[in-house]
Amino acid sequence: MDSASRFQRLSEPACNPGLLFLRFLFIFLGITGMGFGEAHAQVVRVGVYENPPKIFTEESGKAAGIFIDIIEYIAGREGWRLEYVQGGWGEGLDRLERGEIDLMPDVAQTADRERLFSFHKVPVMSSWFQVYTRKDSAIKTMEDLEGKRIAVLERSVQHAAFQQLADGFGLTITLLSRPDYQSIFEAVVGEEADAAVANNFLLLTARQMGLVDTSILFSPSNLYFASPKNRQESLLAAIDTHLLLLKQDHQSAYYRSLKYWSSERVKFVFPAWAKIAGLGVGLALLVSLGGGFVLKRQVNARTRELFLRNRELNAMYEEVKDRERALRELNANLESRVSQRTEELKEAKERAESADRLKSAFLASMSHELRTPLNSIIGFTGILLQGLAGPLNEEQQKQMRMVQVSSRHLLALINDVLDISKIEAGELRLAFSTFGLPGAIEKVVRVVSPMAEKKGIGLKLHIGEDVGEVCTDQRRLEQVILNLLSNAVKFTDKGWVEVICTSEGAFCVLAVKDTGIGLKPEEIPELFQPFYQSDTGLARKHEGTGLGLSICRKLIAMMGGSIDVESQWGSGSTFTIRFPKQAGGLI
Amino acid sequence: MSKTLLIIEDNEHNFYMMRFLLENKGFTVIGAENGRKGIDEALRHKPEAILLDIQLPEMDGYAVAAELKKHALLADVPIISVTSYAMVGDKERILASGATGYIEKPIDPETFVEEVIAYLRKDGEET
Repeated sequence: MDSASRFQRLSEPACNPGLLFLRFLFIFLGITGMGFGEAHAQVVRVGVYENPPKIFTEESGKAAGIFIDIIEYIAGREGWRLEYVQGGWGEGLDRLERGEIDLMPDVAQTADRERLFSFHKVPVMSSWFQVYTRKDSAIKTMEDLEGKRIAVLERSVQHAAFQQLADGFGLTITLLSRPDYQSIFEAVVGEEADAAVANNFLLLTARQMGLVDTSILFSPSNLYFASPKNRQESLLAAIDTHLLLLKQDHQSAYYRSLKYWSSERVKFVFPAWAKIAGLGVGLALLVSLGGGFVLKRQVNARTRELFLRNRELNAMYEEVKDRERALRELNANLESRVSQRTEELKEAKERAESADRLKSAFLASMSHELRTPLNSIIGFTGILLQGLAGPLNEEQQKQMRMVQVSSRHLLALINDVLDISKIEAGELRLAFSTFGLPGAIEKVVRVVSPMAEKKGIGLKLHIGEDVGEVCTDQRRLEQVILNLLSNAVKFTDKGWVEVICTSEGAFCVLAVKDTGIGLKPEEIPELFQPFYQSDTGLARKHEGTGLGLSICRKLIAMMGGSIDVESQWGSGSTFTIRFPKQAGGLI
Repeated sequence: MSKTLLIIEDNEHNFYMMRFLLENKGFTVIGAENGRKGIDEALRHKPEAILLDIQLPEMDGYAVAAELKKHALLADVPIISVTSYAMVGDKERILASGATGYIEKPIDPETFVEEVIAYLRKDGEET
């Protein structure tokens, strides 16, 4: 075998097809180092078996692979003459045991083997085993192997190791022993086996055969050259020395070989006719030499380009990472701000609600406090006007009446404020009772009739015959009717005010019609809003809180009814309330 | 013999006014400015009726009415609460605590005495 040409190849960039071509041409032309071997050189017999790319036999019959590259490099330095002995894996081990060969490559150390063989110290390489399957296979994890047939190299460490692994998982598997990896993979391709166990270096081979690797990995191990027990210690020592040196230098033949055999390569096939036409290809050799040079330059340029591109990509990656970090920070910041703001809003809401409750309580209590002195004012005014405390002269009577009107007005205002504050606070509740509606209406009419009489306007009342008892809040209903009726009288200077009450199924409809000033169309939508007051000069002279109609609307709504208004500016208004006869039953 | 009425009221002016109106119609009026004293006076005099303010200091009108109703001696004495509708559910609470009826504040001097008389037991009912 030509160690010289091999070294030449190893010293060149590995994946240059032009150089590969050249190499094969040399082989063909017979320019080999075989004839130049020294006669007295030490002969070292090396076992070869098929486990590419670690070790295998090329189509040309030559031994090749990582182990071969390394042993040839060492042989070159040590002046050994190598003799390859081809055979199966088990066969190789047998030969080693019998001392028929001096070195067997690719041997993992085990206790058993250490009894039979000697090993050097520095591992050639590390390896582990993995499970390969067909592309369509469902085998993904160890558990998927239950009941499956698995092809394994006979007498190999992985044979026992895998059986042990399967036992550990409690799996029942069938191991099919095969003499080499080619047959192992073929067994899977031909569906004799479901999966294959092979080392990590066989990934490319497996893929070329249409198989895929799985994530089932096991038995990482170091691989060595083994020699017959205690018989070739000098060989082993020499191997260790060179391996140490080779491993220290990243440009060494060791690393070039690893790189060469573990990258995907274009497979060169040399048909017989090519060899015959070899000489004729002499020209092609020159072309290819030139081409090789060009290719090399191109490869270098491409490598530089790739290097720059890679640097650019790295810079981009860093930038993306920076931005991602910034975004993450911003996001976290935003989240904390949102939750802080939510907390603030919650507090503000609670403060507002508590302020609302305080306001309502304050208004209710103030209204009561205001009414107590008013009680005295109204009461004593009444007593004096009745003459119960002695007779009053005409002027005294007139003034006391003014006190009475003003104090009653003040009372009405206080009542309105109290009502609206209760409504706003949701504290106003209705008290339902059954009463005669006609009687209640008549009572309210009697209250306003003195005022109507005084203004010289008519006050008419029509109650339908079918209007009888109703169940609702009497006091609040009377309050609403009184409000509408006194408004009507207030805003009517001539003509009449009419109350019409009818029954409509489950509802009562009560209309208060007047011939007063009426409302402008634009006033109507605002009419029922709190604090609304008619913008007419006339209205200003009728003091009020502006709460009356908004209270009326709310009260009627609480009774399950509605309030509406129709009006013509200058010719009067009609306010109509519609409420259920049995409001109590509705709520 | 004039009928005796008890007024439990903390506001001096309101008490004076009610007493004035009632005495004007010939009633004898006893007063108490808080619930505790009112109960004592009621037990001592067994009045024809008790006029009871609701917003009283310490013991409010509801508690006073409930306490009065516990005494057999006063079981048939009408309790007329004199109140404003200041709070939600006042009226219901008044009647639930044992009051016979109520007169709304501010009182109307023209109708007040008649309203009180309406709640008194008729002479014939007295056994």
